[in-house]
Amino acid sequence: MEVERIFSDIYGGRLALQRRQYSPFCREFCLGCPRLSLRSLTAATCTVWLVAYGLFTLCQNSMVLSAAIFITLLGLLGYLHFVKIDQETLLIIGSLGIQMTSSYASGKESTTFIEMGKVKDVVINEAIYMQKVIYYLCILLKDPVEPQGVSQVVPVFQSAKPRLDCLIEVYRSCQEILALQKVTSGSP
Amino acid sequence: MTKSHLNMAYRRVNGPGQSLTSILSHNNCGIHQPCRTGTHNICMVSDFFYPNMGGVESHIYQLSQCLIERGHKVIIVTHAYGNRKGIRYLTSGLKVYYLPLKVMYNQSTATTLFHSLPLLRYIFVRERVTIIHSHSSFSAMAHDALFHAKTMGLQTVFTDHSLFGFADVSSVLTNKLLTVSLCDTNHIICVSYTSKENTVLRAALNPEIVSVIPNAVDPTDFTPDPFRRDDNVITIVVISRLVYRKGIDLLSGIIPELCQKYPDLNFIVGGEGPKRIILEEVRERYQLHDRVRLLGALEHQDVRDVLVQGHIFLNTSLTEAFCMAIVEAASCGLQVVSTRVGGIPEVLPDNLIILCEPSVKSLCDGLERAISQQKSGTLPDPEKIHNKVKTFYTWRNVAERTEKVYDRVSREVVLPMDKRLNRLISHCGPVTGCTFALLAVLNFLFLIFLRWLTPDSIIDIAVDATGPNGAWTQQYSYSKKGEENKEISESR
Repeated sequence: MEVERIFSDIYGGRLALQRRQYSPFCREFCLGCPRLSLRSLTAATCTVWLVAYGLFTLCQNSMVLSAAIFITLLGLLGYLHFVKIDQETLLIIGSLGIQMTSSYASGKESTTFIEMGKVKDVVINEAIYMQKVIYYLCILLKDPVEPQGVSQVVPVFQSAKPRLDCLIEVYRSCQEILALQKVTSGSP
Repeated sequence: MTKSHLNMAYRRVNGPGQSLTSILSHNNCGIHQPCRTGTHNICMVSDFFYPNMGGVESHIYQLSQCLIERGHKVIIVTHAYGNRKGIRYLTSGLKVYYLPLKVMYNQSTATTLFHSLPLLRYIFVRERVTIIHSHSSFSAMAHDALFHAKTMGLQTVFTDHSLFGFADVSSVLTNKLLTVSLCDTNHIICVSYTSKENTVLRAALNPEIVSVIPNAVDPTDFTPDPFRRDDNVITIVVISRLVYRKGIDLLSGIIPELCQKYPDLNFIVGGEGPKRIILEEVRERYQLHDRVRLLGALEHQDVRDVLVQGHIFLNTSLTEAFCMAIVEAASCGLQVVSTRVGGIPEVLPDNLIILCEPSVKSLCDGLERAISQQKSGTLPDPEKIHNKVKTFYTWRNVAERTEKVYDRVSREVVLPMDKRLNRLISHCGPVTGCTFALLAVLNFLFLIFLRWLTPDSIIDIAVDATGPNGAWTQQYSYSKKGEENKEISESR
């Protein structure tokens, strides 16, 4: 079963949330960020080239121009490979754990897995981010020493930064699974 | 991008059902319901808040708690104190924003008038604030918030907590700044009539927009305990910071004179400050080590324990807007002897206080009168004094009166931009007026730019913790349980 809904991120950009339900214990949330827009790509390239031509007219050295070519190419590659995230996925399996995957524009994927025994709760929190105050979803990890305490906070959807309405939808689903998991593990 | 969790604060939770976020499901957030008539969304702004300790801090906290009790939504905005940054919740859902702004001097933030606008605007919009209430004229952030709030067209209230002079250069400059800051503020609150007079003169205000609402004490914190004091001797208690304006030089004249006259007289002095050395000198010269105790700095919770050891409370201040110390002392059942300066004569009725001129001779006369009354046993019972005083100054009363100010302010109109500029130019002198009018215009342009960058519509509306739709008030059983879980935080 797959449901897709459109939300927006904190900058007003478009975000698509895909919800796949495999079983009552297993759900997957996929947040697709907008693709690299032609406009920002053109703007970045133009800036680099304008600066390069400016320098070229000043010092009359053609090395500047070839350097500009390399800067644009390497910059684009680096951006696609290390910075630009196309899709963030949160897979929650009640009996197993939570897996977070972010796929970069170049195809690179990085995955983190947290087993259910370590997860204390999933909550929505507020933070001051740049010149904004935003809501974000995070996973609280249990402190192995003190069972009531929280050892670490792992933020989810770090690059997409969806707005509250989207977070609430994901949050409710996660809570449903966590509650089911509690019931079943409580009465074996 | 790793900064997304730069500042964070989270509630310690006992299970999935007790976190703040779980309340979301009960509260139809995202859709802002219009306020019930009569309640306000209030934002208190000041540089001074807990963990910093002092009169302004406890004033803001107590007033906010009582306003929450009366059904208003209250949030507090202050700057980050060390590791304490981000968003915290205090008892009964009082939300505090600790903003990462640079502290410049004496816990007051640096001001450029503009740099705090993006963050403050974001908070005002997401919390749907209707009234900005700034505290303390020493706080740069409070003035910044007033300036931005007026640009955004929100109602503004300002509380002044201190008295100023008129003579020296620094007060001339601060008075000018205060004139600019307050000339288009909707309403100003002072703590005593003397303070009102002072503020009206300093800031050249229309007295009709200045209200007097005194401070309050928590009477349950200051109860008398006559068994704690030794009735064979008479003990005079002094609790104040040992600085010039508290009249410590007068005290150093009084101590030897009275100690020579009355062999059964002891002094207890609580507080710390640069003038401590004078008192130590006096003690040394007249060999009074067993009769004058200097306690040094006192924590607020220890004040009552010191007060109940004495019979007479002495206050030697040279200037004072509203003296909390004498109310606390009277609430503990002590006879109060004080100088007749500033707002002090308004504070207590004549039968509870002996007022003297600020001179050694007059204060000694006053103290001798109190001592002879004590010896003849004509002083009223401490319990009786306490019962009388506890009705005078309560935070509930302060909140009620502040609420009336809010009601009045919310019916007023905020000056539109052109009138505001006119007011600034006509009211603050040609040079300052024009400078600040220009700054106001720049601030307005900056606001328009910010509105273009992040329109109000894409700012998430915060989930109310307090107020008519407050998550805390609806979930009363939660807040009771939640109180034991003190806020903790972790930032990285």
